[in-house]
Amino acid sequence: MKPETISTIEVIITSVIRFWPVWAALAVSLTSGYFIRERLGTFGRLYGSPVGLAGLAIVLFWVFTALFADVIAVLGPLEQSFTGGMKKAPIGTIDSESGILFLWGADNLARDIFSRVVYGSRIVLIIAPAATLIAYMVGSTLGLPAGYYTGWIDTAMSFLANLVLAFPVILLFYLLVTPEVRIPTMYNFGLFEVPWSIPIGMAALFFLFPIIFLCLMWWTKYEKAPQKLMIRGGTTLVIGLWLYVGLVFQSPIAPLSLDPNELNVFAAVVLGSSPGVFRIVRGLTMDIKTRDYVAAAQTRGERPWYIMLWEILPNARGPLIVDFCLRIGYTTILLGTLGFFGLGLQPESPDWGSMINHGRSFVRLTSTIHLALFPALALMTLVLGLNLLADGLREESLKD
Amino acid sequence: MDLGLSTDPNTPILEVEDLNISFYTRSGEIPAVMDFSMTVMPGETMGLVGESGCGKSTVSLGIMQYLGNNGQIKSGSIKFMGRDMSSFSREELRDIRGSKISMVYQEPMASLNPAMKIGRQLNEVLTLHEGLSEEEAAKRSASMLDAVRLPDPDRIMGAYPHQLSGGQQQRVVISMALLSKPQLLLLDEPTTALDVTVEAGIVELIQDLAREFGTSMIFVSHNLGLILETCDRITVMYSGEAVEEGDINTVFDNMRHPYTKGLLRSIPVPGADKYAKPLVAIPGQLPLPHERPVGCNFGPRCQHYEEEACNKGLVPMTEVGHRHWSRCARIDEIDWDADVAAGVVDEPIEVGDVVVSVKGLKKHYAVSSGMFGGGDTRTVKANENLSFNAREAETVAIVGESGCGKSTFAKVLMGLETATEGEVTLGNLDIAHLPVEKRDAKTVSSVQMVFQNPFDTLNPSMTIGAQIVRVLEQFEIGDSDADRENKMLELLDLVKLPREFARRMPRQLSGGQKQRIGIARAFAGRPKLVVADEPVSALDVSVQAAVTKLLTDIQRESRTTMLFISHDLGVVRYLSDRIVVMYLGRIMEQGKTEDIFAPPYHPYTEALLSAVPVADTHVKKRHVVLEGELPSPLTPLPGCPFQTRCQYAIPGKCDSQLPPAREMGEGHVIACHLEAETLKEMEPVIVVEDNVAAG
Repeated sequence: MKPETISTIEVIITSVIRFWPVWAALAVSLTSGYFIRERLGTFGRLYGSPVGLAGLAIVLFWVFTALFADVIAVLGPLEQSFTGGMKKAPIGTIDSESGILFLWGADNLARDIFSRVVYGSRIVLIIAPAATLIAYMVGSTLGLPAGYYTGWIDTAMSFLANLVLAFPVILLFYLLVTPEVRIPTMYNFGLFEVPWSIPIGMAALFFLFPIIFLCLMWWTKYEKAPQKLMIRGGTTLVIGLWLYVGLVFQSPIAPLSLDPNELNVFAAVVLGSSPGVFRIVRGLTMDIKTRDYVAAAQTRGERPWYIMLWEILPNARGPLIVDFCLRIGYTTILLGTLGFFGLGLQPESPDWGSMINHGRSFVRLTSTIHLALFPALALMTLVLGLNLLADGLREESLKD
Repeated sequence: MDLGLSTDPNTPILEVEDLNISFYTRSGEIPAVMDFSMTVMPGETMGLVGESGCGKSTVSLGIMQYLGNNGQIKSGSIKFMGRDMSSFSREELRDIRGSKISMVYQEPMASLNPAMKIGRQLNEVLTLHEGLSEEEAAKRSASMLDAVRLPDPDRIMGAYPHQLSGGQQQRVVISMALLSKPQLLLLDEPTTALDVTVEAGIVELIQDLAREFGTSMIFVSHNLGLILETCDRITVMYSGEAVEEGDINTVFDNMRHPYTKGLLRSIPVPGADKYAKPLVAIPGQLPLPHERPVGCNFGPRCQHYEEEACNKGLVPMTEVGHRHWSRCARIDEIDWDADVAAGVVDEPIEVGDVVVSVKGLKKHYAVSSGMFGGGDTRTVKANENLSFNAREAETVAIVGESGCGKSTFAKVLMGLETATEGEVTLGNLDIAHLPVEKRDAKTVSSVQMVFQNPFDTLNPSMTIGAQIVRVLEQFEIGDSDADRENKMLELLDLVKLPREFARRMPRQLSGGQKQRIGIARAFAGRPKLVVADEPVSALDVSVQAAVTKLLTDIQRESRTTMLFISHDLGVVRYLSDRIVVMYLGRIMEQGKTEDIFAPPYHPYTEALLSAVPVADTHVKKRHVVLEGELPSPLTPLPGCPFQTRCQYAIPGKCDSQLPPAREMGEGHVIACHLEAETLKEMEPVIVVEDNVAAG
């Protein structure tokens, strides 16, 4: 028996309807944003630029999709249908047993592609910004002193950054996921066991930077107010280290943990993007350090790290925000690439890259092209949105 | 191409009538120029003067029909040699730009193509506009370079722009503008980016060229003194309108607009004195273009303001004399000859004991020219053997052009650099070798600085209040947060700003207000010594006087020693008790202000005094124009550093021996080889005519 399908127009209409929480949230956020646009700074001025606004809307679309995934998705990301003929079911097929509409068809394991794409947005929108943020912390913590002190510090760090940039990224990723490299060795320290492998080592280094960064910020700002320093620095250290042991070493006492695949991806992505961040932060620092307010801070005896973190970095935020948006886009593509090569997350994970990888062997047939088409479209729109947003922000910040 | 231009000497070269120019921005239409009229006759030089944002540059761009994408001429006409500019086609406009009307901009480096040799850029004008062959063009270009008094035209023709100094570049730009013998030359702040002695040379050149070629000129500037020295007629602009137009001497001596009067009173001229005859600032600040008042734009800041007369509708330009117009509703009611409603006359400050003593200070930088830090290492002597004292509550000015080492000296004082040799004693502490990191909070707070650029002096992403509180924390002032908060508000009171400003961001403040915050910050820790690096030079003229007054008032109150770094001898004469003149890292002359401004002079001081434009028709200056450029500090000369440009240089002596620092009486020291008698016989450079009380 051939399963029942609905027409293309009905598929489009139903797709639009299924995203209703996203449309509602978009309407609310964009209209309320319009009324307080004066107070939103550069983001508020996006309302004067159609391109930037379109970018913002697309990005927000996926953000809200990730937020409301449970409401939008019909099935779980791993749920399979066991009805006959549902494997690789075409677009708009209705499961004859459960009566569930497989809006964007089903994959070769008879999972709902629509639901998988929707859930996939969660993975992409958590990992890409988080990895970019960590890359930013690493890049800034190293780029600020390089640009501020110049001289041999700069030479040494720039050399290191160029070294990483010059190394073929894909090869690096292949190296990182080679079983011999990836599988952790357990070291026993009596009371507890510590896993160790090259990716874990890299993550251990990278995840240290956010803690160092924040502690430096509090220390320089509240050096002469020990009480405030204790509260802020203490909180940062406790929470930071608590998260740190969980994220890096999978310690059971921590609230969050990353599985080894995700850790690999983090390590790879941060290593790949922090040299770029390092370079842009270094350049901006060199420019801003010639301003009079930096000289004023120097003449009142401020520490170099105070000047870097509180006088220079906040005033570099304009170009950095633009770069951040672009870089989330790159990271998203990188995640897709990793997934596509099967180097990323677990094979069954609904992230868009892995889905495209899965679907690629079916692209040859028109009837099964949808396996790769929808995740590819999702990836493309998100990156497009981020790029448009970055363009809009750059244009608006250049004006007057 | 026949452009239908009239060459009749009675037809004005340029006739602007009721011109209105608007810009269209995000926040709607902004009128930049309103109801503007101006006539320039053949051979005349018109000065266009006003503060930033008054529309003077917009007028000059409007004349060139070059307003960019968002600017538009709304109404009115611009007639060039009898023909309306708006009737020119695109091709015709392109043809007259650069051949009939030329323009010289402020930044010479931005006007020249950095990738093309000077010769090719010059020839292009002639091959393009006059269709000359390369050789003929090259010949004409070389003779024009000669006319703008550039030595060795052939070498210059083969050079790239970056191989020339700023002054030479601007001369090239001027020669390029004059190449095709234009009828009208527009100069938009042509000397603002240059040093005073270089500026004096360019000004003299412009005067000669006007005489020689008979070119009509429009000279746009914010500097009244410069306009007085170069122009026949003047148009004063304020907030988008011309407020007064007339012959230069008429406007300076018989002004008929309160703004012109206020402007002239707020500039330090040789007659002014900070105690006996202080400057009078124009209260308030320039209105933003979209917040202009109804009626007279100057009304809210005018002391003659009257309800009904001044705030009802547009005030028209009225003729008040032969070719003299003013836009004032109460011309007939104001007593124009009334003397300045003099500000409060202050008692002179009693100077106390020596606070800062500089002895034999040297600061050398090693510059390696080879790759990888190898090669030959050369030394730049930024400061060489500086010695002077500054007393409590005294203002000592350090005067010199760019590259004289005054900023390096400030850095050594602040501890951003350490001295190579010598000492700077503050109290009983030698701070010359003590970098700022090694100074304790008390020492740091006792030496503070006011910076030059108000738009750069505050951290743009922190509130005003937070920035001042941070300074107090850093100086270990106050016991608690609340205490510091209070102190911060008191500091705002001190610099006469409302307390609400504590919560504002720097971008919400005007330039003058930002500079006040900069002053509050410097005086937060009751400093013994404040270094003020050109604190008012970047401000609008009408605001300068108020900030200067504030600075001297606070100094009087706190009895702080002030080191005033400047190249503007007008302000220096007004403000300082003693002056130190520097050239290429060395002190050329030092002494009391009145001794510096009267003979005997050091030859460099003499040239410097002559170079500074004075906005007073009663002041006569002797012309001393320096030839040549500042020598490179990388190749130090044996003997006197000033020998290359000195008109008195004695061959065999000045180029081999360092001149001795000779005491001329009462702390007046001149470093020169000339005999004391020769120096004493020098004629005064600045002479104030008798009918004005000499300062």
